[in-house]
Amino acid sequence: MTSSPVKAQAAGTDGRAALKQFTRALGVAIVLLVIWRVTTVGLAEGYPVSFWISQALNGLVLGGVYALVALGYTLVYGILFMINFAHGEVMMIGGITGFFALQFAQARGWMEGPWPVVVVALLLIMFVGMAASVVIGVTLERLAYRPLRQAPRLVPLISAIGASLFLQYSVLLIFGVSPHSYRKPALISGGLRLGDVFIPYTGAIIFVTSILLMLALFFIIQRTKLGRAMRAVAEDRSTASLMGVDVNAVIVVTFMLGSALAGAAGVMLGFHNTVVKFNSGFIPGLKAFTAAVLGGIGNIPGAMFGALILGLIEAIGPSALGIPTEYKDVIAFTLLVLILIFRPTGLFGEVLSEKKA
Amino acid sequence: MAKRLAIVSLFLVAALMLAACAAAPPAAEAPAEEAPMEEAAADMSGKVVIASGSMIRIGGSFALTGPIPDPGLNIRHGAELAVDDLNAMGGLEGFMFELVAEDGACDGTQGTNVGNKFAADETIVAVTGGTCSGETFGLVPILQEARIPFVSPSATNPDITSADCDVCNRVALSDALQGATDAAFVVSDLGITTVAVVHDNSDYGKGLAEIFQNNVMEMGGEVTGFEGVQVGDTDFRALLAKVGADGPQAIFFGGYSTEAGLIAQQMTETPGLEETAFMSVDGAYTKQYLEAAGDASEGTYISFVAGADSEEMNAEFDAKYMEKYGVSPDDLGPFHSQSYDSVKLLAAAIAAVASVDDSGNLVIDREELISAIRSVDAFEGLTGTIKCDSMGECGAGGVQIFQVMDGDFSQVSGFGME
Repeated sequence: MTSSPVKAQAAGTDGRAALKQFTRALGVAIVLLVIWRVTTVGLAEGYPVSFWISQALNGLVLGGVYALVALGYTLVYGILFMINFAHGEVMMIGGITGFFALQFAQARGWMEGPWPVVVVALLLIMFVGMAASVVIGVTLERLAYRPLRQAPRLVPLISAIGASLFLQYSVLLIFGVSPHSYRKPALISGGLRLGDVFIPYTGAIIFVTSILLMLALFFIIQRTKLGRAMRAVAEDRSTASLMGVDVNAVIVVTFMLGSALAGAAGVMLGFHNTVVKFNSGFIPGLKAFTAAVLGGIGNIPGAMFGALILGLIEAIGPSALGIPTEYKDVIAFTLLVLILIFRPTGLFGEVLSEKKA
Repeated sequence: MAKRLAIVSLFLVAALMLAACAAAPPAAEAPAEEAPMEEAAADMSGKVVIASGSMIRIGGSFALTGPIPDPGLNIRHGAELAVDDLNAMGGLEGFMFELVAEDGACDGTQGTNVGNKFAADETIVAVTGGTCSGETFGLVPILQEARIPFVSPSATNPDITSADCDVCNRVALSDALQGATDAAFVVSDLGITTVAVVHDNSDYGKGLAEIFQNNVMEMGGEVTGFEGVQVGDTDFRALLAKVGADGPQAIFFGGYSTEAGLIAQQMTETPGLEETAFMSVDGAYTKQYLEAAGDASEGTYISFVAGADSEEMNAEFDAKYMEKYGVSPDDLGPFHSQSYDSVKLLAAAIAAVASVDDSGNLVIDREELISAIRSVDAFEGLTGTIKCDSMGECGAGGVQIFQVMDGDFSQVSGFGME
């Protein structure tokens, strides 16, 4: 209590600098505290190396899923400067559609066929899930966001939250409250055993596929005409339009790309965790948003690395800090708060021009 | 600007998290303000007066959404069939029964909302439910204040009934019994000495996990870890890797079907846990568990608080259930018989205290009804001979332990096998 008037006085005389110093000192203190805790717990528990590898692999799989969803947040933010809070639900729609596609394939016995048939069927299922997500994503843009494009920034955000609830409860009413269970085909059940480390096939597939999809996205944005148009719109919408870029088309394509990635994530998460229901997109959506902010929202490599870092921290954090695993969400969201306090532009900063901000 | 947006987003995240926790709009405030007035009216008379031609309204709090929607629906069906049967037998003094079903969502906040709704409605005579312990904890203080007695068919947390609550009753057996029986089975019958205990942070799951843990330790077993998850989680690999590092011989999970099934399934993918036994509890005694676990369910153990079922009455009930809903009652969940008995028990107590006054109204004294439930003795229900004690424990039967064999539950120990 005694220190607060002193602090207030300091803030009064030389407010900004003092505050900056204070937050910096606080940041250093927090980092030191975490390092100290990790070291003491690590020494006390004495987990084997294979344990940390297993946890890191769990984290990378989680991170791969977050990355695919986070890219959708970041792409849309980069172009429209709005946060599409219904993006988690777009992913859930992919997962639910994938479930019905899988049932269709199972009814025809494709899942028991020779392995090329199964692989093709799995790719088809993923494609169907992605297509459904794309349809929902584009519809959302057309109905919920485009009419509000000239409105103040907060308005489309609120519209997005409404859309999120609408999608959740529509799925609840149409497909029921009970969870739907994916039946994994034998080909991707089980996993690889390397000593004391176990890698589930679905986990490996998620990680590899998410990397491939991210590379494809990177190629589209950096190497194609379409990507150039997207970058132009992100830079300055009205100038791009004057240069002959069809802004509406670019925005629709952006939603399509983001939704397709989310749909793929939804289907793969369905195979990995085997359960989807109406609200399965909510928490992963929030986590992916956290990941996007962590990396610097609007920044594409930032979203990828932010997601992988978040996944790793969630998987390793509870063991490393010696706290119960139920606090993994607390760790994730605490990280979000700390990032917003100490580095509001995210770890990788915003690469986009100052003009839009 | 970027900073401001970031801060706004942070508030939004916080708001969304809150919205997710609160699920339904808190309509609690309006009824809460009305409640004292209702109470005053109730205090003046302390009676429910049902005009000729009106219905005897019994409230029902069922977990129709939330983690166990199928068992919730199953319990609602049981209650509906009980009301059908009561009315088919002519009701009470020419008055028909009506079930006022609400969604308690297996959640304390929603339980509170449902409780307020019932408390604000002076025509509600009694309540059946809630389905889950957390939901029922939401109902307890409100119904106690409003002097509306309830009988829960399936809330098993020991603290649901207590000396402080005279309106609290249940047909289900307390988890004090289930936790002890499960611990004895694991330590004595399976000969397991090291167990990791996991729970889902619900009042039900965590309560039962703690009872189990205490019993195991009393019996000389070692608990290698006590960890929580959240209802709705689907990825337990990080948790299981941590639990598996201590190499327990068994994992015990207190919680509901989906999480139990996924834990059983993901255990097979965790180094050090491939051969570990898995045991869960009545919240997971469902088809949903078998479906979520898939092949990994084989050989796992599930306990259930079973009634002392009378074969003949149940066969008749099952046939009616099949006819009305088109599914076998056991396909959805395990507590339909308890639910049927809860409503019949309430009806029997109402019949004992209700009287018709001079103007043809049915009059039910709330205080008399509350004590009438406690004095129910030798009521023949689907779950056996029900007798309520002074704490409101009315359940008959005992704890059964099942093992999954060839994709179905088969009893290996416990009640009915001694």
